[in-house]
Amino acid sequence: MLLLLLALQLPTIAIDQRLAADAKLRVGDVVVVSAKPGGEGDSVRVGAIIGRPADPSEVARSEYRVRMHLESLQSALGYGDRVDRFAVATRDSTATTDALKRINEAAFGFHAHRSRDIAVGTSETFHVVSRFHRAIGVITIVASAIFLLCILLLKVDERRRDVAALRLLGISRASVMRSVVIEAAFIAALGSAAGVGIGWAVSAIVNWHYQSVYRTPLRFSIVTPEIILLAVSLSLVLGIAAGVLAARRLVRTPPLALLGR
Amino acid sequence: MRLFLALASLRRHRSRTMLATAGVAIAAALLLDMVMLSGGMRASFGNLLTAQGFQMRLPPRGTLPFDTEATIDGAGEIIAMLRQKSEIIAVSPVLGATVRTTRDEHPVTAFALGIDPSVQGDYRMESGRDATDSSSLVANVEFLHAAGLQLGDTITLAAGYNPQLRAFTGTRALTIAGRARFIYLSTGQPAVAMPLRSLQAMSGHLKDDAVSVFMVRTRPGADVEAIARWIQGTIPRVDAVSTAQALAKVDERLSYFRQLSFILGAVSLIVGFLLTTTLVTVSVNDRVGEIAVMRAIGVSRAHVVHQVLLEGTAISLGGALLGLALGLVTARWLNTILSSFPGLPAAIDFFLFQPRAAWTALGLLVLSGIAAGIYPAWRAASLPVARTLREEAVA
Repeated sequence: MLLLLLALQLPTIAIDQRLAADAKLRVGDVVVVSAKPGGEGDSVRVGAIIGRPADPSEVARSEYRVRMHLESLQSALGYGDRVDRFAVATRDSTATTDALKRINEAAFGFHAHRSRDIAVGTSETFHVVSRFHRAIGVITIVASAIFLLCILLLKVDERRRDVAALRLLGISRASVMRSVVIEAAFIAALGSAAGVGIGWAVSAIVNWHYQSVYRTPLRFSIVTPEIILLAVSLSLVLGIAAGVLAARRLVRTPPLALLGR
Repeated sequence: MRLFLALASLRRHRSRTMLATAGVAIAAALLLDMVMLSGGMRASFGNLLTAQGFQMRLPPRGTLPFDTEATIDGAGEIIAMLRQKSEIIAVSPVLGATVRTTRDEHPVTAFALGIDPSVQGDYRMESGRDATDSSSLVANVEFLHAAGLQLGDTITLAAGYNPQLRAFTGTRALTIAGRARFIYLSTGQPAVAMPLRSLQAMSGHLKDDAVSVFMVRTRPGADVEAIARWIQGTIPRVDAVSTAQALAKVDERLSYFRQLSFILGAVSLIVGFLLTTTLVTVSVNDRVGEIAVMRAIGVSRAHVVHQVLLEGTAISLGGALLGLALGLVTARWLNTILSSFPGLPAAIDFFLFQPRAAWTALGLLVLSGIAAGIYPAWRAASLPVARTLREEAVA
């Protein structure tokens, strides 16, 4: 009973789910925290277990997070009444601008920054990753375009006997061309619909896999309407282009030659 | 003869063959890039870690070298303990700090290393002499350009900035004795190095004799992992990170790229396979009559199978060779993008060309080409000769 009362009087900390799972800690457990490895440290009680935010900057770092009361951390670090930074909430953007100006004019020993500017300054890593993804995307789009063009050319080319028969029956070149292009567009549309479905499923698998690997709620893959629009447009344009190319070649070839005579 | 017939068949539909080869080439380029990415980053980092002959790093426990501002007190005492171990032949203490010039309104901020010049492994001299006395330093070309200085100039540097008091813990006039290239720093980062005691005095770490990391060189053939375990047991304030462990940490942090390379490599291989299969299947469908005639005049099934397999292999091989050249160009482009990661050492390459990578990509593509020909070859070999001839004659 006495031990319980003593434990309840200890300062509390909050630990993240990852640390709680790995160290098998639960709310109410008493642990010793120290600023230096091997140091004496202070006893604290686990007061809460917190979820990890979906922060991409932490995703590849298998670090643990501990939230302490300010005075506990200051005491552990021998920081006195010092802090690293203040976060200031303002009413609106005008108030933010005004506050920045006034603080920076009056403050001694620190500088106020807009949160957005700090985010830009610290997000260079993600810009690099984003540029890399775009480059990979360009290569993949070129490869897919050639693949699509090739498949549709072959598909249309397979119809040469039918086209020859239609031409011999007196169907005009324009009608044959239209029918071939419509068929190519239909195949492209069908493929696009299947592609969107597969893309959505793959995206879900990627998120499920990486969220469990990195133990984060972060979404690694997002299928947006813009991405679907790009993929479907590209597929339709390439499909129709391939249809036009193949159909032009077919209607210009004499029907008997198409039949191999 | 079989190769000749296979090539003749591909030549008959030039545009179709060229398009398929182009598709396989891009798939091959992506595959090569992904094979280079999966192993190159690790090899490049391994080369960087062992370049100066140090097999182990000792950062403060629970951290990685220079990952935090944590320091290890009592450097002299730790060095003495490490030297007791006969397998350890050199220990290089390193302190990292931020310094800035004080001579004008636009100070230059630089990363400073406090080192023991006799055993340091952080930089290579390019000109001048090393910083062997307490009043000298060596600087990289980025610092010299940013500060408008040259060898022989004297500069006052300050360290240990206290934002509350807007004052520095220490300042010191130092003469630039030499120019050096810092191995582990990122491109464009101004840096200087000076004797450890000088930087400790400037940054307020002299009393504690604090350093950021120790680099340890062991005797050739020594069991590095066993020494690491001994250090961990003997000195509880530090972690002993061997090159293998550091590579494992890098693998962990950059596992995303390894997995991405695996996924995209597999996708590109499948795309190449599908493209080749489709083309060869259509080619066989076009020539069913021709194949039936060949079979009717006594050409063996094995001959037909070989010819079709050769078609698939020829497309894959042609595409692969083109793709390998294309892959080297795209790898350089992608490497330029990833090299701009903030804080990444300039010597790190994500896409490191290794002959093994090229052979792996080529081998996988040839195998996929052979596999791509299996279905159409089976179809060609199992054609009912008489019925096919009759149907062709009717058509």
